[in-house]
Amino acid sequence: MAVHVDGLRKVFEVPEREPGLWASVKSLVRRKMREVRAVDGITFDIDRGEIVGFLGPNGAGKTTTLKMLSGLLHSSGGEARVLGFVPSKREKDFLRQITLVMGNRNQLQWDLPALDSFELNRAIYRLRREDFVPFRDELIELLDIGDLVRKPVRNLSLGERMKVEIVGALLHRPQVLFLDEPTIGLDVTMQKRIRSFVAEYNRRHGATVLLTSHYMADVQALCRRVIVIHHGQILYDGPLTGLADQFAAHKTIGVALEDGTVDLTRYGEVIHRDGDWITLRVPKTETSEIASRLLAEQSVLDLTIEEPPIEDVIELVFAQERREPEVEVVA
Amino acid sequence: MKALLGNMRAELVGAGGVVERNAYLTKRYIWWDVAWFVWTVANTLTIVFIAKGIEATGGSLDVNETMTTLLIGAVVWAYLGILFEFLMETVAWERWEGTIEYTFMAPLSRAMHLAGQGVFAIAYGLVRAIFLFCVCAFVFFSLSIPDAKYFPAFVVLVVASISFIGIGMMMSVLPLISPEKGTQLGFVAQGTLLVVSGVYYPVSVLPEWMQWIAKVSPATYALDGIRKAILEGQGLSALWSDLWPLLLIGFVSIPLGLWVFQRGEQYAKRHGKLKRSG
Repeated sequence: MAVHVDGLRKVFEVPEREPGLWASVKSLVRRKMREVRAVDGITFDIDRGEIVGFLGPNGAGKTTTLKMLSGLLHSSGGEARVLGFVPSKREKDFLRQITLVMGNRNQLQWDLPALDSFELNRAIYRLRREDFVPFRDELIELLDIGDLVRKPVRNLSLGERMKVEIVGALLHRPQVLFLDEPTIGLDVTMQKRIRSFVAEYNRRHGATVLLTSHYMADVQALCRRVIVIHHGQILYDGPLTGLADQFAAHKTIGVALEDGTVDLTRYGEVIHRDGDWITLRVPKTETSEIASRLLAEQSVLDLTIEEPPIEDVIELVFAQERREPEVEVVA
Repeated sequence: MKALLGNMRAELVGAGGVVERNAYLTKRYIWWDVAWFVWTVANTLTIVFIAKGIEATGGSLDVNETMTTLLIGAVVWAYLGILFEFLMETVAWERWEGTIEYTFMAPLSRAMHLAGQGVFAIAYGLVRAIFLFCVCAFVFFSLSIPDAKYFPAFVVLVVASISFIGIGMMMSVLPLISPEKGTQLGFVAQGTLLVVSGVYYPVSVLPEWMQWIAKVSPATYALDGIRKAILEGQGLSALWSDLWPLLLIGFVSIPLGLWVFQRGEQYAKRHGKLKRSG
C-alpha cells in the first residue's frame, strides 16, 4: 500500500467579526473564532503504482489533504500513512521518497538557473553524482528543456517554469508523487506534454501518483480511478468510468437523419442541432429503447450513444452536496 | 558507529547545500551587495563623525579613541544586523519567494538547515565587517590604533557569533508564527539588544535594570572584548572574562533557539501558516 488514509481530519480555527469600527474594537478584547472543517474524516487507500485523480471544486480540501500527506500540515485527527510512514514525523527516509508539485508554487530559486538548484537538491537529497547526472539529463531530454535549465527561473514562461519545476521535483526519483494542479495556466500543448511525462515516469518507475486538476483532460488521460471530494468529504471513490453510471441520470444520443428537419422531441430533449446531426438527451434507463425506436421509425444515417462529458458529470456530483462547512462557533 | 558517522557526514553535506545556495544567490547579486555596502559605509561614517562633531562644538574628548569606539560599535552592529537578516530570511524570504513548503519538506534536519544558514551568515558577515572596518578606519579617518590586536578581536567576534546565531534562530521563528508582522517584531528584538549592549556608550550609563539585561546580552561582551583588543591591545588570555560568558550564552542559546524554532514550526504546521505570502 502506498497511501493509507483513515478518517483524516483537518479543522482550522479562523477569526470572524462583523464589519465596522465598533466590531473591530470589540474584536481586540474578545475574538470570535469559528471552526472550518477543511477535511472531514476522509478514508481511502492507494496501491503502489496507481495514478489516482483527486477531484473537487476550489476549497474542497484537496490541497489540505496533499499537504497533510506530505507532512507540511498536521492533521486534527484520523490516520495517514505514506509508504508506511507517518508524514508529520518528517522522517528522512519518507521525505526522500515523496515529492509535492504545486502548480502555483515553486521549489526552484527564482534568481538562479535551474541547473544550480538541481545541484542543491543533489546535496540535500544526498544523491550520488554518478546516479544524479544521467537521471537529470534523462529528465531534461524527456521534457526537452536543455536550453531552459541554464536561464534563471525568473526569465522562464509559466509553462517552461513548470517543466523545470517538475524535473527538480523528480531528481531524487520519488516513489510517491503528489501533483497539485501541475498543468494550471498552461496551454493545451504544454498540458499534453506534462501529462505524457507523468505517464512515462509512472511507467518507468512504478511511482504512485495522486493528482489534482481542474482539467478533465488531465484526469481522463492519466487516471483510471478518481476520488471526488467536496466540503472535505469524499463523495465518490472508484473508476472514472463509473462516475457517469453513478451520478448521471442521462445519456446523449447523436443521430444523423436523411431529413434533418424532423421533430424528435417525442424521443428526448434536443440539446443540439447541427445540419442533419441532432443530439438528444435521454434518460439513461431508456437509452436502448429510444435508440431502437429511432432506428425503426426514422431514416437514420448514423447513430451514436455517449455518456455525458466528464465535466458535466463532475458538476452533477458537486451539485449533490450543498452543505455549509462551518459547524460551531467557539470563543 | 559507522552508520552514525555516515549520517553525520550526510547531514553536513546537506548543510553545505544550504551554504552553497546562499553563496550562489550572493554571487548572482554581488553588485547589489556592493551598493548595499556603500549604504552601510555611509551609515557607519555618520555615527563615527559624531566624535568629530563633539570636538568641533567645544567638547573635550580623545577624538581618535572615541571615533574608534564608535566605529567598533557600528561595525559590530552592522555584523549583527547581517546575521539576524539571514536567519530571519530563513522563513520570511522563502515565504515571499514561494519556496517555503519545499524547503521545509527537504530531508534535512532543522538543526542542519539552520546551521547552514548560520554558517553562511557568519562567513558573509565577517567579510563585510572586516571590509567595513578597514574602509572606515584607514581610508576615511586614518585612525591611529597602534596597539590594536586584530586576531583576538576576530576571535571574540567569531565566538560571539554562536550566541548571535542562537538568538537569531529564536527571532527567525517570528515570521513563521506571524506571516504578516513577524519580521517587524524581529527588528524590535534587535533594537532592544542595541539599547542595552553599549553599542555606542558604556553600559554603565544605563539605568540599573537595563544593566541587568546587558549582562545576558552577548553583544555586551562582544563589544567589550573587541574594544579591549583594538584600543588596549589585550590578548586572548586577557579577554577570557568576555569569552567565557559568550561561550556560556552560546551554549544555552543555540539549543534554546533550535527548540524555539521547532516549536514554531510545529505551530505553523498545525495552523496552516507554512505557506507562501506575496
